[in-house]
Amino acid sequence: MTDMLCGYANRDETIVAFLYDELEPGERRDFNAHLLTCTICRDEVAGLRTVRTQLARWEPPALTSLQSPVPETSRPAWWHEVPAWAQVAAALLVMGVSAGIANLDVRYDQNGLAITTGWSKPATPKLVTARPSEGGTTLVTDQSAAGTPWRADLAALERQLRTELRASQASAPVPQAVHAVSSSDAETLRRVRGLVEESEKRQQRELALRIAEVVRDVDTQRRADLRNIDHTLGLVRNDLGVEVMKQRQSLNLLYRASQRQ
Amino acid sequence: MTWTDEELVAKSIRGDADSFNELVLRWERPIYALAYRTIGREEDARDVCQETFLRAFRALPGFRGQAKFSSWLYRIALNLCRDWIRRERRTPVVQPPEDVDLLELAAASEPSESIEDLVARQDLSRVVERAMALLPEEQRTAIVLKEYHGLTFQEIADLVGCPLSTVKTRLYQGLTVLRRELAKNPKTKGTML
Repeated sequence: MTDMLCGYANRDETIVAFLYDELEPGERRDFNAHLLTCTICRDEVAGLRTVRTQLARWEPPALTSLQSPVPETSRPAWWHEVPAWAQVAAALLVMGVSAGIANLDVRYDQNGLAITTGWSKPATPKLVTARPSEGGTTLVTDQSAAGTPWRADLAALERQLRTELRASQASAPVPQAVHAVSSSDAETLRRVRGLVEESEKRQQRELALRIAEVVRDVDTQRRADLRNIDHTLGLVRNDLGVEVMKQRQSLNLLYRASQRQ
Repeated sequence: MTWTDEELVAKSIRGDADSFNELVLRWERPIYALAYRTIGREEDARDVCQETFLRAFRALPGFRGQAKFSSWLYRIALNLCRDWIRRERRTPVVQPPEDVDLLELAAASEPSESIEDLVARQDLSRVVERAMALLPEEQRTAIVLKEYHGLTFQEIADLVGCPLSTVKTRLYQGLTVLRRELAKNPKTKGTML
């Protein structure tokens, strides 16, 4: 430990407090003055500052957000947030609509309380029925419903149903709302699909870009390596050429010497 | 409007689950980072993080505001980390680095960052991670709380339950060991003084 070489009081703790800027102003002033004269402490402070810089490079892996640990069941149901008066109003509305659809008829007279629906009223329309013709074929003519009361009721019910349906189709906004909701859902779905497709395309583009970067880097490195190899080969060739030339000169000298002898 | 931690705690105690979720969103990353840097395992750090918030939620009615909510959370997380280390009966280890995957690197890089810079950055991060794993738990915890969470010496002393001077000594010793270890590594050697 270097503190054996420096006798500053509480040296280790002071250095740490200095590093993290937790010295009192007076202590800081004193330690700054000490640093001017003590190379050991100055070097150590500089070294530990570098360690702090390196520590800042340590990044934990990314965390995808935790799901809420609070159980979903502890959340109040959405309808608990609707005021009580609104719930009562909604219930009355449902009852009214139901009574209207059922064509409810409530009477209270000397016979007591009577509740009937519109469909159970006696109906007396003329019915179109068939009777045999002279030629054995069927002709259409009016006939009293007295003989077949269930047919009259059935026909009346059918007509009333058709009328009600036409009226409800013409005036009721509910189907339109349903249609609007479904078209809204379809629109949302279409937008989400669009976003997903766009995201996929963007990722593909980025991937292609990165791969292109890698390929370019590899290519650049390859070219640099080739240049180096070429350069080295050139040097070797030059050296070889020089060697060959020297050899030839030596041979020439030997040849000339042998000729002289 | 931004609520303070204490306001969100009060609302959570009254049964507002959304307020507690807001606290989770606010603190999950610091708590996860603390757990990861203390125990060094990604999956276990995530479990510790989740367990921290579960325990906090259960203990919320008993929270009287005698400490900051963040300090309270840190204490729970640190206790869980200590339990993990005791249970595992081993020093925290750092996950072995995986082979460099260029596609993964490409996905993780900043737009202005080259592949080389990214590899260097990740290498450096691993070097620091390995050096930290060599420290005893007390020194590592002190450095993590000080360096990455900005707690004061006194806050660390209160949190881990030791004197102020001990915190400073642990920090000094830990940083000194790190300086020596980082100087050995060729990736950080050039930058060390």
